[in-house]
Amino acid sequence: MSEFFGFFILLMSNGILIGLMYSLIALGFVLVYKATDAVNFAQGEFVMIAGFMAAGGLMVWGAPLWVAVLVALAAMVAFGFGLERVMLRRLIGRPVIAVVMATIGLASILRGLGPFTIFSGTKPLPLPIPDEPFILGPLFIPPIQLVGGLVSLGFLVAFGWFFLKSRKGIAMRAVADNQQVAMAMGIDVERYFGLAWAMTGIVSALGGILWGNLLGVDVNLALVGFKVFPVVILGGLDSIPGAIVGGLIVGIVENVAAGYIDPYVGGGTKDFAPYVLMIMALMIRPYGIFGKRIIERV
Amino acid sequence: MSIGHGAFMSVGAYTAANLANRLGAPWPVTLLAGGLMAALIGAIVGIPSLRIKGLYLAIATLAGQLIIEWTINHVTFISGGVQASIEVARPRLGSYVLSSQRDMYYFLLFFVVVAIVGTLNLMRTRVGRAFIAIRDQDIAAEIIGINIFRYKLLAFAISSFYAGVTGVLYTYFLGIANYEQFQIGVSIDYLAMIIIGGLGSVLGSIFGAIFVTLLPIVIRYAMEAFGGVFFEPQTVLNLIPNLRLMLFGALIIFFLIVEPEGLNRLWRNIRSYFRVWPFAY
Amino acid sequence: MRRRLAILTALVLVAGSVLAAVSVFAQSKGEIVIGLQCDRTGATQIVGTVLCPGFHDYIALVNSKGGVEGHPIRAIEIDHEYKVPPGVESYERHKKEGAVTIAVYGTPHIYALAAKLTEDRIPGTSPGFGSAAAADGQRYPYIFPIAATYWSQGAAAVDFVKKQMNGSLKGKKIAYLFYDNPAGREPIEVLEDLATIEGFQLKTFAVPPPGVEMGAQVLDIAQRFKADFVIAHLFGGAPSVSIKELKRVGYPLRKVVSFVWGAAEANIDGAGGFAVAEGYYAMQFAGVGKDYPVLNEIREMYKKQGKPAPKEMDSTVFYNRGVLIGALHVEAIRNALKAKPDGKITGEDAKKGFEKINNFTLGGLVPPLKITSTDHEGGGLVQIWQVKGGKFEKVTDWYAAYQNVVAKHIKEAGKK
Repeated sequence: MSEFFGFFILLMSNGILIGLMYSLIALGFVLVYKATDAVNFAQGEFVMIAGFMAAGGLMVWGAPLWVAVLVALAAMVAFGFGLERVMLRRLIGRPVIAVVMATIGLASILRGLGPFTIFSGTKPLPLPIPDEPFILGPLFIPPIQLVGGLVSLGFLVAFGWFFLKSRKGIAMRAVADNQQVAMAMGIDVERYFGLAWAMTGIVSALGGILWGNLLGVDVNLALVGFKVFPVVILGGLDSIPGAIVGGLIVGIVENVAAGYIDPYVGGGTKDFAPYVLMIMALMIRPYGIFGKRIIERV
Repeated sequence: MSIGHGAFMSVGAYTAANLANRLGAPWPVTLLAGGLMAALIGAIVGIPSLRIKGLYLAIATLAGQLIIEWTINHVTFISGGVQASIEVARPRLGSYVLSSQRDMYYFLLFFVVVAIVGTLNLMRTRVGRAFIAIRDQDIAAEIIGINIFRYKLLAFAISSFYAGVTGVLYTYFLGIANYEQFQIGVSIDYLAMIIIGGLGSVLGSIFGAIFVTLLPIVIRYAMEAFGGVFFEPQTVLNLIPNLRLMLFGALIIFFLIVEPEGLNRLWRNIRSYFRVWPFAY
Repeated sequence: MRRRLAILTALVLVAGSVLAAVSVFAQSKGEIVIGLQCDRTGATQIVGTVLCPGFHDYIALVNSKGGVEGHPIRAIEIDHEYKVPPGVESYERHKKEGAVTIAVYGTPHIYALAAKLTEDRIPGTSPGFGSAAAADGQRYPYIFPIAATYWSQGAAAVDFVKKQMNGSLKGKKIAYLFYDNPAGREPIEVLEDLATIEGFQLKTFAVPPPGVEMGAQVLDIAQRFKADFVIAHLFGGAPSVSIKELKRVGYPLRKVVSFVWGAAEANIDGAGGFAVAEGYYAMQFAGVGKDYPVLNEIREMYKKQGKPAPKEMDSTVFYNRGVLIGALHVEAIRNALKAKPDGKITGEDAKKGFEKINNFTLGGLVPPLKITSTDHEGGGLVQIWQVKGGKFEKVTDWYAAYQNVVAKHIKEAGKK
């Protein structure tokens, strides 16, 4: 029985850590949605291109790690601002599907751009984080996932402060709440949209570096983007704590499903279980656990 | 909007393949059965549309796609074994077996025409007008007495029916049903076709399909012809596919920004331009 | 604006069709065409970006020596992004260009094209992937695995594990960690048979696509099931993840043997480099390393043109596989041309050409295959290499195992 319990604890801890890593990606998605009502289907590709830049800096041009990380961060911020200016600004006021499709197009561009300009094939993204796990009683804690989890929680705190206390954050909430009223109050709406995309750039850059270390950098890094949907739907599209909680739920459900259901159905339920959960959540509480409830008017 | 049409195609394909192989059903039967089964599954996936719409609905259909994929992949009764692929015989017309490329082409073309005419006419019926009303303003539509739930499900069912029939035809075209033919990437390509062609127009979706299919070919020829001037031949081969991805994405964005009504609108513009050519105002 | 756009589109359309017409005429006489499917942009691009250059370089080498029996070879590459519809369409274009053989790429693609290849009488190859049942040349006359299928790979893996366990698997526990798609599940039936024969306990662990995370499965293998050995069969980025995660839970990599698609430098790099993966066993269907006469010739060819050897050559596993595939296609064409010196060969001739390949080893890069009209696999030979001291080191020579078991399964599949 204790072995059974030990394994359960292992699955849970693994789920929590990997869940926080998912949250890191979901945070970028939620930020944009919260501030601009835009849905970013290219979130995985954002993470991927950031990974490409960091790995390219490190492995192709031989820059030291801190330079590569700074370059990736700066480039992603610039990319966020630029993207808003060139593409998204022109799509303001269009139906949701237009933005969705535009970001799908963007995803395609980024997937071609990475190998086209930086490098093709797979490159590792070594970080000065040891591979050997910490062993805490029955627990195995991989350091990289611990770092990822801490970064996620750090962002949670930082964004919490930003949106509740800082002037810019309050302005951004106003923009998100009602663009026209915000404009009438003298808030430069477009500037805040740019800011939101740039913040997503920062989150994606860190996500790309951490996930890049975990998976190696190539186009397949973008696949982590698929994990975002159940996370954000469960947590609520516009809620930052929701992204964290959603990530935790998905991480734990995946691991428990893989540990206890897989042996009986003879197949991987890991990807499948979070989506089933998501559908159920959609039926019961479509706006997510922490999402803002929207009352529809004609 | 649905991101799950690839999966509805697979539902049609596997229904047909199983019927054809286990019961020896001829193609008109399997075609209809495949379409109806896809319509049924589509309506089930469409149930959440009662409560959610827009983005949430898109993600729900994405979930539908993944769940259907998983089921086909793992239930051997449907998939016909670990390989998840079922071979089917070529369709027959009377005693004539349609096997050559040209036969299949006309066979498929016939259904395309039927589908186009059917859809164009559908939009003029009572049902079609109800669809348009719901799309434009669902709550208002409900007030004037349209049963939204019924029509939404019906829309899902009809659209899935088409997808299912397409899946069956594709199965006959290839001679095999294999679930990896209908994965998520394929669904997204279909969506792109519609966007490029022009949302909500039948002619536009045809333009879009042609465009999305031909674009890579044109880029490939262009690169082979001119690429050698600038790059090593080996590099060109690496560039073409990546460039195609980038152009594909760029075109989607371009159309969304510049010509939101898609190729269909562009076509009308070209037509009206050349109608008065060369003496434009 | 609208009008300019209209004119622009019209121009692009016209230019495109003119180009298409021009390049069709660019074909020279006496040329033999091979169709090559690639994935340089899709899920398995780490394979395609290295494998395809290997293929092209071998063809270029053959052409630089005056072609095959005086006929130049042209390989037409089309990228299909690992999606089936573009794959089918690329086949139609290859056919139109007059390809006599087609190097298909991707398990779903070989399934989708199986019926068409047979009807059109064009041989297609599926080295190291595709359907294991296609080794039966009577049932699938135009499909050529030309390398160990997943069944043979599974059999070879079990045999290797047995040798590592000092010759007996009685009561041992083997974990099979696989990608949850048809290709990943294919070997299970053979592994289950072998488990009964050899008396070991087999447990399967599915990794659903996209395979970016497999913490739970790996924990189960290391902590709950406590496997004595792991046989891994993963694709794309998943092998790198498996190496890292197994390492993280403290499972020794010298107790892991991977199928052929988790066996390349790129997979090791993705996991963080050779130092991380020390001890990992990898199965190969082409020789590994740079030390083969044919590779020297390719480097020589580049030198003569005043160019450095391409960097793809450093990634020897996939590059050498590209060379192997190219070489086997060229051999088939050579055999066909020998039988028909007038040079007007068809897919049917190329098929017979493939069936004459016997003990063609290219200095050790290609296993000594013997392809016949009944056996399109050629023996199911593999080598095992190990990550050791920063590179792959050869552990076994070419071998195949439990061929009677594999043959039994092929026969059963043929009855269906």
